[in-house]
Amino acid sequence: MTDTEIGSLETEMNRGFLHILVLALLEKDMYGYAMVKHIEALGYKVEENTLYPLLRRLERNGWIASKWDVTEDRPRKYYSITAAGRDMRAALLEVWRNQARVLDKIMKENTDAAKNA
Amino acid sequence: MPQKTPNKLEAYLEEISHFLSGRAEREEVLSEIRSHILEKAAAEHGATDDTAALDKAIAAYGAPRRVAERYAEDRPIIAPAYKRYLFRYTSILFAVHMLLTGLAVAFKKSFIVFPFLYMPEMGVLDALMYVPTAFLADLGAVALVLYFITQSGKDVKLPWPKIGADLDEIKPMDGFFKSRLFTAIQLAAMLAVTSFAVFLYVRFQTIFFVFHSYGNFRDPMPLFTPGAGRSLSLIVIAMFGASVATLLVKLVTRSRWVDVASNIVSLALIGLILRQPFDDLFAVPVAERLLPLIRQGITFVLLFIAVMITIDLIKNLVALGRKKLR
Repeated sequence: MTDTEIGSLETEMNRGFLHILVLALLEKDMYGYAMVKHIEALGYKVEENTLYPLLRRLERNGWIASKWDVTEDRPRKYYSITAAGRDMRAALLEVWRNQARVLDKIMKENTDAAKNA
Repeated sequence: MPQKTPNKLEAYLEEISHFLSGRAEREEVLSEIRSHILEKAAAEHGATDDTAALDKAIAAYGAPRRVAERYAEDRPIIAPAYKRYLFRYTSILFAVHMLLTGLAVAFKKSFIVFPFLYMPEMGVLDALMYVPTAFLADLGAVALVLYFITQSGKDVKLPWPKIGADLDEIKPMDGFFKSRLFTAIQLAAMLAVTSFAVFLYVRFQTIFFVFHSYGNFRDPMPLFTPGAGRSLSLIVIAMFGASVATLLVKLVTRSRWVDVASNIVSLALIGLILRQPFDDLFAVPVAERLLPLIRQGITFVLLFIAVMITIDLIKNLVALGRKKLR
């Protein structure tokens, strides 16, 4: 098992997770850089150049909305979740919880089997 | 008031833009990246007018092509399910293309299958030069159709007959000595045939004979007139020689490039035979009404061999291509 192999699988797992993460994060309006820093502060890392294409896809699907704030020195694009986005987030969280539950159950079965062996 | 964007950042965005070109939302994408990099340079490195700070922020964002690729949709140019059809259909199309080329050469005619194909009347050398162009055109045409099918997003079931060997199932020869032994036997046989042909040619200036009855006596006579007999004999001996050379090289290496070279030489020699004038060909008396039939028969057999060699050539090229892609 190499770091490259783990990295490659992590990237695949991230695809779905990042959708939930961003939808969860955008309960409060945020701009891209703030999102990156917030996620980093929580002990996770999202690549900057991955976040913006994801935000575009979410916006195209109507799950988030955006608006530019040009009142400051540097223009910032703020993102916020929509009603459709909240529904999608609830559905995705349900999927994610179910996956975690199944995995926990299997790991528990494995532990029990190892104890009884 | 929005600040002026440094040149360094603009150059970086311009590079990304190059890879994003054609996208309707290009300007918006670039604005998002610009905003992010300026924000990061200011927050983490102190200032946006500092070159070192910008350099760090730009480097962290990634190489322009990689950045642009993140915006591309995941839909492939040709869906994985259709990839195998690319070479399957190209091989069929190419075989038909080569057959038409052979007919255009043999019958000195042009063919037009509007708007797909225009085959001008051409000589053997022109035809040989045309082969790679034809292959690339066929490959491109099939790729284009598969591209449209992929982009349509529909589940199209493409037909493929369940007969013959599947190009996807070409297997490497097994056993080093087993395959070499077989090659050595083939080589010995070809050497014997070639030597006999050379002996006949040196002795009689032809290798084609016919047994003709004179009373109670059967004597071999040259089949063709001296000029035609010499040319055709030399071409056939050259074909035998090419086979011997191929088999010799194959004793050392199993590279498919050897087969490709052999296929090309064989096609060229068949082209040379097809180029021979069929008038005054036979040294023995042949009924006038049979001559056209014999000519057409010979042409058909040669074209059939040429198509078989061409299919073999495609198989070898596909196998080489697959090896390279692996």
